[in-house]
Amino acid sequence: MIYEKHYVWSILLRLYHWAMAGSIVALSVTGFYIFSPWTLTNLEGTGLFPMMTMRYIHILAAYLFTGAIVARCFLFIFGNRQERVWDVLPISARNIKNLIDTLGAYMYLTDHHDEDRLGHNVLAGMTYVTTIFVGFIQIIAGFYLWLPESAFWQQFGNAIFGTQQYGRFIHHILMWYFILFAMVHIYLVIWNDLKNPDGLVSSIFTGNKFRHREVK
Amino acid sequence: MTDTPESKIPDPQLNRRSFLKGCTAVAAALGISEAMIPKLVEAATTAQRPPVVWLHFQECTGCTESLLRASHPDIARLILDVISLDYHETIMAPSGHQAEKSLHDTLDKYAGKFLCVVEGAIPTKDKGIYCKIAGRTAMDILAEVAPKAAAIIAIGSCAAYGGIQAASPNPTGAVGVQDLVSGTPVINIPGCPPNPISFMGTVLHYLTFKRLPVCDNLGRPLFAYGRRIHDHCERRAHFDEGRFAEQFGDYGHRNGYCLYKVGCKGPSTFSNCPSARFNDVDVWPVSVGHGCVGCTEPNFWDTMTPFYERLPNVNIPGIAGITNIDKAGKTILGVAAAAVGIHAAVGIGKKMVKGCGCKDDK
Repeated sequence: MIYEKHYVWSILLRLYHWAMAGSIVALSVTGFYIFSPWTLTNLEGTGLFPMMTMRYIHILAAYLFTGAIVARCFLFIFGNRQERVWDVLPISARNIKNLIDTLGAYMYLTDHHDEDRLGHNVLAGMTYVTTIFVGFIQIIAGFYLWLPESAFWQQFGNAIFGTQQYGRFIHHILMWYFILFAMVHIYLVIWNDLKNPDGLVSSIFTGNKFRHREVK
Repeated sequence: MTDTPESKIPDPQLNRRSFLKGCTAVAAALGISEAMIPKLVEAATTAQRPPVVWLHFQECTGCTESLLRASHPDIARLILDVISLDYHETIMAPSGHQAEKSLHDTLDKYAGKFLCVVEGAIPTKDKGIYCKIAGRTAMDILAEVAPKAAAIIAIGSCAAYGGIQAASPNPTGAVGVQDLVSGTPVINIPGCPPNPISFMGTVLHYLTFKRLPVCDNLGRPLFAYGRRIHDHCERRAHFDEGRFAEQFGDYGHRNGYCLYKVGCKGPSTFSNCPSARFNDVDVWPVSVGHGCVGCTEPNFWDTMTPFYERLPNVNIPGIAGITNIDKAGKTILGVAAAAVGIHAAVGIGKKMVKGCGCKDDK
């Protein structure tokens, strides 16, 4: 048995992934600080401006996050076969079968592995599409909170959230979605890498996955 | 100054100097050039004072009290002198049938010309029977008065957005004026109570320029509600430097630090409180050590409470007792982590019983 190397993830997708991962960590940490500052809150004359600094990092990371989401949307349409959105949604018989197989495998009911699929399984793909959608809401809420005097964001944000306070509330709740997503994502990636030796974890660094072929 | 307002102002308490001071204060609040002050003065002293019908619905009369008892005599007298209150249940002389007659006289005589000020929310549930004046429901009265008014000023958060009556579960189906009136321009002066200067500025703007001031998309005039409280707050430097009162009465609170961590809603609230201030003694809630409660925002009783926390509570169906948003998040994360652990354990258990099931094992 030999392993065939397949180029699966483009450079833009890998950049997107790590921009997303890095910005989610930065945004969550600084977001928690902005929500409830934990530094010594009675220091005078330090000139450190911790809240200013945290907000600055938060906004920088927010732009990185926005760029990542936009890049992923581009790849949903113009990416390679594995990256396109119709490859990961249950809209064809092949994809629905994969979704059922994946659920079965995650529940330890089957050991079936879809050999003709190099990209995401459909359950993961659906979750990623949801995450991008949640990301958009998070971005709108964020800009609405940051630029409340801008007529554009005010109109947009008021239509969706009603008030600044509700925008802040939704922004905070959705952060927990990303934290939850990150935990489950990392667990399932490792789980899949243990189950199927196709180099899933390294593929997000190198872009390559492996598939075995019987040698007769 | 081309005009001599004394001659036209009967009340001896409002002398020319106070009158001009009042107009100047309003011009400053409106953010218009001082070159416009003579125009404001002219508009305020015109013989044709706009008749005002002031309707009281579900309210506490706090907005009226705030206007009348503004310790700034210039503004309070100016309000009573510039506008002609033909119908105002709190301060009008007639009562009973005479009061209703003066209302209808104004509606007939000045149809399309008078200003209507509404104070209080309007209940709509069960055909509006929860608020009746002279035997008629608030909905009826508003439906009669609103189409005949030149413009409607909804004063206070109740008239603007429903206020405390509209707070969940909203037993009387209370709504603000803008939800019931169409066709007549409505401007909101929210606040609990609003600053008299914001009301006066809107009225004088209307008299001077013959149109209502520019509004944001919640119907509030931008001159008074165009900026977040947080951005003009005198404690803002403490916020940026990370200096916070952790609880009321602690070192930070005594030293005037930012009230963000004790639930100040200044970052979510649009109002001119930090610059216009109240009661002519230059105070407002944050300057005296209490956080903003966000009273100028829609549904503030639902979204700004608890007042001493940053964010509203969450209500997770099926889980009672966890209302704090971060506690709820940590609980859900904990449950998910436990599920991950169980999933991994099942996988390991299965491998011990049946082997890996991996391709390489074959």
